[in-house]
Amino acid sequence: MIKPLSLFLRPKVTETFEFRDEELETLGSEIKKEMPKVFGRSLAIRELDSGSDNSTEIEISNLGTPYYDVERFGISFVASPRHADVLLVTGAVTLNMAEAVKKTYEAMPSPKFVVAVGDDACNGGIYKGSYAVLGGVDKILPVDMRIPGNPPSPKEILKGLLALLKKASE
Amino acid sequence: MDMKKNNDIMDLLSEISEMTGEEPEILNARADEAYVRLSEAGFERAALALAKQQFSLIGLFCAEAFEKEDGFTLFYAFKQAGRAPVLVLVREAGREEKVSSVAESFPSASWFEREVRDGFGLEFTGAFDTRRLFLHECYPKGFHPLRKAFKNGPLPLRETEAGTTKVGSNEARTTKVGSNEAGAAEAGAAEAGAAEAGTTKVGSNEVGTNEVGKPGEEYRFRQLKGEGVYQVPVGPVHAGIIEPGHFRFSVIGEPIFSLEIRLFYKHRGIEKLAEGKSPSECVALAEAISGDESAANAVGFCTAVERACGIPVPERAECLRAVLLELERVYSLLGDLAGMAVDVGFSLVASPFLILREEMFRQNEKLTGSRFLRGMMMPGGLKKDIPYSALKELAPFFAKFSRTFESAFERAMSSSSLIDRFATTGVVKKGLVVPLNLTGPLAKASGCPADTRLNRPYGAYGYFAPGPSVRKGGDVLSRYEVKADEIRESLKLIDRLLEEMPEGPVFAGNTLAEGEEAGPGSLSTSGTSGDSGTSSTSGISGYALTLVEAPRGQNLHWVYLKNGLVDRYKVRTASFCNWQAIEHAVLGNIIPDFPVINKSLNMSYAGTDL
Repeated sequence: MIKPLSLFLRPKVTETFEFRDEELETLGSEIKKEMPKVFGRSLAIRELDSGSDNSTEIEISNLGTPYYDVERFGISFVASPRHADVLLVTGAVTLNMAEAVKKTYEAMPSPKFVVAVGDDACNGGIYKGSYAVLGGVDKILPVDMRIPGNPPSPKEILKGLLALLKKASE
Repeated sequence: MDMKKNNDIMDLLSEISEMTGEEPEILNARADEAYVRLSEAGFERAALALAKQQFSLIGLFCAEAFEKEDGFTLFYAFKQAGRAPVLVLVREAGREEKVSSVAESFPSASWFEREVRDGFGLEFTGAFDTRRLFLHECYPKGFHPLRKAFKNGPLPLRETEAGTTKVGSNEARTTKVGSNEAGAAEAGAAEAGAAEAGTTKVGSNEVGTNEVGKPGEEYRFRQLKGEGVYQVPVGPVHAGIIEPGHFRFSVIGEPIFSLEIRLFYKHRGIEKLAEGKSPSECVALAEAISGDESAANAVGFCTAVERACGIPVPERAECLRAVLLELERVYSLLGDLAGMAVDVGFSLVASPFLILREEMFRQNEKLTGSRFLRGMMMPGGLKKDIPYSALKELAPFFAKFSRTFESAFERAMSSSSLIDRFATTGVVKKGLVVPLNLTGPLAKASGCPADTRLNRPYGAYGYFAPGPSVRKGGDVLSRYEVKADEIRESLKLIDRLLEEMPEGPVFAGNTLAEGEEAGPGSLSTSGTSGDSGTSSTSGISGYALTLVEAPRGQNLHWVYLKNGLVDRYKVRTASFCNWQAIEHAVLGNIIPDFPVINKSLNMSYAGTDL
């Protein structure tokens, strides 16, 4: 039997998720403090895969999962480059993607920033010397920040974004 | 139709001679793998007969200067469903550069043949699709990177690529394409303009740049015309945090009438990069094929090398590998379950799955030092042992895991709106499974219990077999259920593996090479075992094919070693074949259901594009 009151009183969520990572919270509050200096209260990021193995994508999308939930720090991932402040590029830039990468960048309004995420985006990584890649995002776009790693963990990506915020406000 | 099963390799071989009426030349035979060379006429007869007997063409690849041959050698790998050996028909193309196509009998051959054509420049006569596959229009004509004459390195066209000397004709082309994704879409196809440079000397590094800027050919998508038919181009840059690929929908009103996919935007040249490297160097490349299949591809590569060189693998290493493979399966499939819920706007269910997945990543890191289980595998075993303390944590972790998982899954299944979106959506018919060589959860949800761990056991799976999970619907809902079943089976397997985990070394290369006992496999000895791993493969020539069950299905690895170095490494991931199912699955569905259909099939772009 259903008690009508319980429908209102019972929490409408799954089990409460108790988890607190002090390092992450400190990072987040620093990001929140740094952000208004240049970007208003939010940072709009467009993620672009220029030919990675998909692990970096997985770590970037992990930023939105309950463990990190970076939207509470003012970071959001947007669907169009037209709405983006920052282009987060993964991958060594394949020849097949080079044109699309350039067009995505051109579609962004200025001022705009480019962050290379992962070893392959930073300098070609394991694909260095292949006929099929340019060998790093800086071969085709002006890169403002590099976040190395194979792949970098979500926290390392956040640290890189914080460094970008600091650099932008200088 | 004759559905005779050839469980034994000898039966299979005698049948081949029956089919062709000639005595086949057996190049190499193992218990579950035979290489048979046939005459040209014999090959064509055999191919027809194999198609009649419901064999799948699971791989088709080419090698140049194979063993004593001078020209190109083609390998056609066939396998029947169920527990059956792999039959590799070897076909010498010599320097002819022209062979007949088998795509009429084996639909999965179409992409394979286009791949060989791009890589080696072989023409397949009678093929119904001769467009390029992984080399987009930005590559010059006559460029075939996998030929030995081409020494890997940046193409001299690079400058044009980067756009510095871009020539006009692109503008017109992009506007034609449509305006989705802020103009970034379809850039790959539009890129034809400057890059389709002049003719080149075949297979050499001297790429003629005399005709740079000459308008190139545009990629010809299937043209579907008629009243009310319109096209919707999507990609290669998509709205979410996902990989690039292009989808060309033809729609009449709401329902999708045709879909054509164009991939290979992420082509990084992995197979060429592997050439000339030592097997232990190549493991990192195998891990970079597809991030969320790192362990599966590393094991596939290592197993192929071990089979080719006859390197024994200690029991403990086999069992630990199996644990890692199952962990990978669980975190991968959790992502699918979450993603499918997100794609129908049900994040309440997605969240617990995502929480579990993040916890899995953290367990992975504790076990191996890498969230993606990287840096563990090597030919001959593991680079390092997994500390007992970390392994001990797994059992209580998964006990808690199961509770959260089941409650989240029950919540999903008790939501009528979720069922409504999933049921009858994106049906993949059973009849497609054999001709397209569909594998993994995709095939299982369409009524085919295809599982490499059962059908061609490798490593510890000879003793630790997962239970089968099959659904008949072939729709998104069936795939959702199959993926949940797979996770449950993996948990059971991990449990059994941990209980019966043998003690001992995790690397036996030393005993083979130097007659020395391998260290206890602690972190400190990993360096030395790495060195001896190289020595046990040094100077050996040989080749072997392995199939592994990655989270997405059957991955094929074929390694040909020449004097201890990788001469040819062919990878065919499950995604490569499974991608072709999506063109069928979406028919009659509406575009808003495409994301959830795509996610339910969850193919890897990186693993396909290589």
